[in-house]
Amino acid sequence: MSANNDSGDLEALFDSIAADFSPAIPVTTVATPKSNVPTGDDDDLQALFDSVSAETQPPKVVESVERAAAESLSEAWPSQEGVFNRIGHMARALHDTLGQLGYDKLIEKTVSALPDAKDRLTYIANLTEQAACRVLNATDIASPLVDDMENSSKALGARWDKVFANQLSTDEFKALAIETREFLNKKIPQKTQETHAQLTEIMMAQDFQDLTGQVIKKVVGLAQELESGLMTVLVEVMPETKRTEEVASLMNGPVINSQGRTDVVVNQKQVDDLLDSLGF
Amino acid sequence: MADPKLRILVVDDFSTMRRIVRNLLKELGFTNVDEAEDGAIALQKLQGGGFEFVVTDWNMPNMDGLTLLQTIRATPTLKHLPVLMITAEAKKENIIAAAQAGASGYIVKPFTAGTLSEKLNKIFEKMGMA
Repeated sequence: MSANNDSGDLEALFDSIAADFSPAIPVTTVATPKSNVPTGDDDDLQALFDSVSAETQPPKVVESVERAAAESLSEAWPSQEGVFNRIGHMARALHDTLGQLGYDKLIEKTVSALPDAKDRLTYIANLTEQAACRVLNATDIASPLVDDMENSSKALGARWDKVFANQLSTDEFKALAIETREFLNKKIPQKTQETHAQLTEIMMAQDFQDLTGQVIKKVVGLAQELESGLMTVLVEVMPETKRTEEVASLMNGPVINSQGRTDVVVNQKQVDDLLDSLGF
Repeated sequence: MADPKLRILVVDDFSTMRRIVRNLLKELGFTNVDEAEDGAIALQKLQGGGFEFVVTDWNMPNMDGLTLLQTIRATPTLKHLPVLMITAEAKKENIIAAAQAGASGYIVKPFTAGTLSEKLNKIFEKMGMA
């Protein structure tokens, strides 16, 4: 998949959203260039900006029409218009800054790498799932083998206890001796070999770690490139008064790095202590 | 030990985790286990009746574990059910939120067979099921 396909999708999405609002401002549909020629990101951005700026500064002829339409519509529109305007200006500013700083090439490269990263992450998900299944299957096979060895040993042991308690006849003793010999020479080695095969299977299932490790490193590298690029741009573009606040959420997934954090627990004991301290 | 016939519902969106919890429960002697892949499906199964214990993850699609817990506690026919949460969510506010919502126990992933056994027994003791 190429970057052009993606921006085509995005454009279609934008068009469909814009179409929803078209009754509100007839100007938009007139002003929006319908160029579907794949001319690259620069032109797409330019077109987007043009359409947005056309919205904010409508030609005088249609101004009254727009005003009338806007007035007759629900009060929700002005806020949405404001959002579109701001996004438009941000896109313009972002576009200019990127060009000035030379980040446009970097972003272009990164964006084209994103579908690749998606594939890689899917690959990791598949490999880890396969490995988990292999290991769980192996334990499912090995568990009964081990259980069987344990039970047979206990049964034989109990009969030997009877021998030592003089509770077995000579014939029974002979049968026990033969069975024990058979057990030691054949049954146990066979079960241990089968168990060993499953242990090997479990070991081999860990090969995903090597493969996924390599892929993860590549995706992490990509994410870092994208992050540092976007961060620099954001710092350039964002007004100083704007500060992002950490979104308080209860669904964050596993804690990746607990160092220096006091809002998370790192083990079960801390969970228990916390609950105890609260009286639960 | 509690009744080995105890009917347990294991709720997690990852089949691997459901299988692991199921295997651990089997090792602890509980074989009457059913599975659900999110809170919504779990609630359906619970409303069908017959379950005596719920082990649930937190972060799941459709209905998350906390909502499931809150719904269970708000449903007269289900509110008595012990609910043990096994989750990767490790923020203190998560643990407090779960406790306030009426969770019977809270285990953070990754966890061990020993932890599961210990928490189950603690819940059984509290419920008088031991």
